[in-house]
Amino acid sequence: MQSNAALEYDYSVAKLFTYTTILFGFLGMLIGTLIAAQLAFPELNYLLGEYGTFSRLRPMHTNIVIFGFTLSGIWATFYYVGQRVLKVSMAESKFLMFMGKFHFWLYFVGALLAVITLELGMTQGKEYAVFEWPIDIVIVIIWVSWGISIFGLIGIRREKTLYISLWYYIACFLGIAMLYLFNNMSVPTYFATENLGSFMHSVSMYSGTNDALVQWWYGHNAVAFGFTVPIVAMVYYFLPKESGQAIYSYKLSLLSFWGLMFVYLWAGSHHLIWSTVPDWMQTMGSVFSVVLILPSWGSAINMLLTMKGEWNQLTDNPLIKFMVLASTFYMLSTLEGPIQAIKSVNAIAHFTDWIPGHVHDGVLGWVVFMIMAALFHMAPRMFKREIYSKSLMEKQFWLQTTAVVLYFTSMWIAGITQGMMWRAVDEYGNLMYSFIDTVAVLHPYYVIRALAGVMYLVGFIMFAYNMVKTMTASKELAQEPQFRSPMA
Amino acid sequence: MNSLVIKALAFAAVLIIGTLVAVKSMNVNMDDTINQLTLLGAVAIAVLAFGVSAKYINQMKTDTATGELVDHNWDGIGEYKNELPSGWAYAFLGTLIWTVWYWLVGYPVNAYSQIGEYNQEVLEYNKKFEEKHKNADAATLKAMGESIFLVQCAPCHGETGDGLSGKAQDFTKRMSKEQVLNVITNGSDQLKYPMGAMPGGMASGADAEAIAAYVAGGMKGEQPAAFGVCAGCHGMDGKGNGGTAPNIAEYDETLVTAVLTHGKKGVIGAMPSFKGRLTPVQEKALASYISTIK
Amino acid sequence: MFHWLEKNPFFFAVGVFVVIAFAGLIEILPNFAEASRPVTGLKPYSVLELAGKEVYKKDNCIACHSQLIRPFKSETDRYGQVSLSGEYAYDRPFLWGSKRTGPDLHRVGNYRTTDWHENHMWDPKSVVPQSIMPAYKHMFTNLADIETAYAEASTVKAVFNTPYGPEIDGTKAGWEKYKPTVLEEAKKIAADMKNKDVKDAVARGEVPEIVAMIAYLNRLK
Ligand code: HEC
Ligand code: HEC
Ligand code: HEC
Ligand code: HEM
Ligand code: HEM
Ligand SMILES: [Ca+2]
Ligand SMILES: [Ca+2]
Ligand SMILES: [Cu+2]
Repeated sequence: MQSNAALEYDYSVAKLFTYTTILFGFLGMLIGTLIAAQLAFPELNYLLGEYGTFSRLRPMHTNIVIFGFTLSGIWATFYYVGQRVLKVSMAESKFLMFMGKFHFWLYFVGALLAVITLELGMTQGKEYAVFEWPIDIVIVIIWVSWGISIFGLIGIRREKTLYISLWYYIACFLGIAMLYLFNNMSVPTYFATENLGSFMHSVSMYSGTNDALVQWWYGHNAVAFGFTVPIVAMVYYFLPKESGQAIYSYKLSLLSFWGLMFVYLWAGSHHLIWSTVPDWMQTMGSVFSVVLILPSWGSAINMLLTMKGEWNQLTDNPLIKFMVLASTFYMLSTLEGPIQAIKSVNAIAHFTDWIPGHVHDGVLGWVVFMIMAALFHMAPRMFKREIYSKSLMEKQFWLQTTAVVLYFTSMWIAGITQGMMWRAVDEYGNLMYSFIDTVAVLHPYYVIRALAGVMYLVGFIMFAYNMVKTMTASKELAQEPQFRSPMA
Repeated sequence: MNSLVIKALAFAAVLIIGTLVAVKSMNVNMDDTINQLTLLGAVAIAVLAFGVSAKYINQMKTDTATGELVDHNWDGIGEYKNELPSGWAYAFLGTLIWTVWYWLVGYPVNAYSQIGEYNQEVLEYNKKFEEKHKNADAATLKAMGESIFLVQCAPCHGETGDGLSGKAQDFTKRMSKEQVLNVITNGSDQLKYPMGAMPGGMASGADAEAIAAYVAGGMKGEQPAAFGVCAGCHGMDGKGNGGTAPNIAEYDETLVTAVLTHGKKGVIGAMPSFKGRLTPVQEKALASYISTIK
Repeated sequence: MFHWLEKNPFFFAVGVFVVIAFAGLIEILPNFAEASRPVTGLKPYSVLELAGKEVYKKDNCIACHSQLIRPFKSETDRYGQVSLSGEYAYDRPFLWGSKRTGPDLHRVGNYRTTDWHENHMWDPKSVVPQSIMPAYKHMFTNLADIETAYAEASTVKAVFNTPYGPEIDGTKAGWEKYKPTVLEEAKKIAADMKNKDVKDAVARGEVPEIVAMIAYLNRLK
């Protein structure tokens, strides 16, 4: 194997995004834990006046974890992985260095604006696409800057063949660009009139059922190209790199990638089953969801098979544990989702807590685990110090794993119970339960979920602490480690 | 089977049993096919996701990496030229076959309509329950009424029917003094009784006070002389003269049906109309339940 | 062939884009003309109702409430008639929601009333003791942005031909002339309410958020 010692990669942008990943991860999960607790103990709605209700905080949670934490993680890893698999340093191009920094700082300002306007209640009211049009414009510029970085780096590459991770980063870039633009088309009312009312307000270009279609074509695929595709990019680089194992099968990588690209987009209407969109379109969402199991599992299986025979690495290296468990949670959520997309199952699952359950085995078990593992792996290489504490990492792993299991099992049972109670009829053919009965029954599950939130959050704080210590106080390294990350 | 897979399946079993216990304890209808398919789906998720991943993780213990490497690597990462895992390939094929089945048989594109299915469902329900409860006895009606009440009416009238401290009608008694006074003063024209509207200003001052106290007190004790005005329409006993005017002594079916049909706005607030949302049997059941609330 | 793509980033990106883009066309386009047609008799939202819809969005009721009654008997018994596509023709954005922590609200105007909402939004536990819905007391003092609502009505009229009358014209003068109509509508709601501050505010010519909110909720039928 050839050595990369000759090349000094420049990690300044990757580092900046690493800091925001940690910051937004903490904030987003803090709020997640708070809203989880609010459903169990509604008195907690009144800590911050009108700004602290569950309904106001919920989009803060989703947007900070998605557009703050996850995006930062994607970019931190991209600015790290991109250079290495293309064998070019950002330092080689002043322009790319500038673009990278511009990308980061515009993102940071945009994120602040987004948080402020959202908390003030300026929203377009579409889930995962809440920002009003001026913020949208900033987001588009941020996205374009990333595009310039990707293709700029590719343009000056020394490695001719794109590594698998890059396929996925490119798909993430293109997919979100297309989806975001179309879903956010809207007319600012201030300019459509004689400057009446709020400058920020706009109305959607689409109405009713059409709006729903565009929204979930976007929403589903924002998950696909935000929570799946770039995270797969990470696992394809960091797992083999940390373990020193070669990818199990190129063919499987190839089929999984193109299969995923082809099938994902068709499945969006599984969010609209039993709604007013035409029956055939709902059916299409269902069937493509089920087909989607295999391209999704393909990547996970490829990763698990990459670790064939490496049991000792699994038991000995908590970083490997994170990535292996992430792959299995990826398998869980990409099987659970398709099954929830089957019409008969969706009749129960839709609108219930089983959906947030599904969401969080994806995001907590897969997205967050993978991003944390990636940052842990990058830290010794970026900061030239060994990881501060292995035992802390080990404890964090078990704490957070327990938390995810508690989260998804409680919401699984809660959701199925509630869905069935909504349908239940008594011996006279009348509804058996009033709505509030079906709320009251959830209390114990909400308590368990809140507890899981606290555990997961504590785990994340352990991660943040470990990272900060690694950056500042850990033993310095003379040489970059090739595979396994050194840890104390 | 190896221990890891067994552990994974045991975990799946615990989750499924937990789910079953939870839903069973809520008495939901287990003969509902939607419920059955959902549970089947849940079993499939748990067993397959945990079982299959445990199988692959176990290979880390038992197997070794083999194969021919491609003659290239990226930042030190190599790739094997291994074939597709056959289980994966066959499963892919399987889902494609399922897809064809779903399009053509499960929810056939050219023949399935969700509204059609819904109409069918409602038709079957109605046939089953209307037939069964056409001549329901008093006890059945009351029990049925209570169950409807808790779902449809309790959010306003409270679970016990006490009107939640004056936020809606209090069914533990017929009317409050304030309500009666209001009608005496302003009249009433919402319930569409055969008698038509009741004009306002039929009594005033002390007379009105006395009548209102008497009616609100449940029409017990000595009847004030002024009540004669009212008796003309509502009857000496206040029971509404055989349904031509409202029964102001107690709740009866005519009154409840009238209120449910037309809604009502009074001193307390507004009561929405439930027209078209309840069947005649359900209205009768509600009336019979309300008249027993103490 | 794929190895070739992996060495040619431009064609690789074009390939990915084509593969992901065309599903979108098939999924979205065929329904466009069909689904935007209003059911007969559907009226556009009044300006006050639009202001209420804005409050609904701002306080994000959609976090807990759906507006979509699915075709199951258990849902139509609980919430009323199945939702139809044409009923949403003036909903920009659509507000179907994706989680029912609270009940569906698509037809809540049929079975709840102004005074009930007043009690419930002030303190949900006062009417539903086990409720976990937050109280929205601030809506009783914050003022609704009726000017922006007027701007929205004007915009959808001008851009999407939503059938408003000539009085909705998007001009400053038009708004000054129209404002009393909104206040009239607000007065009707306030008349059924008990909160003194709200009544006083409306008498002064102001529209507290709760009034607009209730106008919107009552409209959901
Ligand atoms: C001309 C006939 C007539 C007379 C006289 C009359 N009522 Fe009525 N009353 C009616 C009718 C008819 C209604 C139902 C009106 C409606 O549709 O709301 C009614 C309604 C009422 C109601 C409301 C019942 C409910 O549940 O909403 C009360 C209380 C009442 N009357 C009390 C009185 C009292 C007390 C008097 C005497 C002072 C009186 N009425 C005299 C005809 C009369
Ligand atoms: C949105 C709230 C609300 C709901 C839901 C509701 N009610 Fe009422 N109801 C009221 C209010 C408020 C009054 C008192 C009206 C007044 O006199 O001011 C009332 C009054 C009544 C009365 C007395 C009317 C009279 O004239 O004496 C009856 C009977 C009644 N409701 C039955 C029902 C039944 C049965 C249901 C359920 C199927 C129901 N209500 C659901 C709010 C409601
Ligand atoms: C934390 C979740 C939550 C939020 C946020 C929330 N609600 Fe609710 N809502 C509930 C629950 C639970 C119920 C059922 C219990 C009750 O009636 O209070 C409910 C009931 C209702 C009802 C009564 C519907 C019926 O059929 O009984 C209305 C109307 C309502 N909410 C409106 C709103 C509005 C408007 C907002 C936003 C400003 C809002 N809710 C925000 C949880 C919520
Ligand atoms: C094969 C892959 C997947 C399929 C077919 C799928 C399917 C589904 C379905 C059917 C729903 C519920 C829609 C509803 O009834 O409300 C859903 C919701 C959701 N899923 Fe997945 N899922 C998949 C993978 C994932 C993964 C890996 C993640 C995250 C890491 C994820 C995140 C979400 C989110 C955030 C929602 C909630 C959307 C909302 O707000 O309603 N999904 N998914
Ligand atoms: C401490 C950890 C977390 C806790 C306790 C938590 C809690 C919650 C709660 C209570 C909800 C609302 C569910 C409801 O409305 O019923 C929610 C929604 C959501 N969370 Fe989290 N969360 C956590 C971490 C995360 C992370 C890290 C992500 C993403 C990376 C995430 C993504 C989401 C999404 C997408 C939704 C919306 C789901 C939907 O609409 O169906 N969460 N979370
Ligand atoms: Ca937007
Ligand atoms: Ca959602
Ligand atoms: Cu989806």
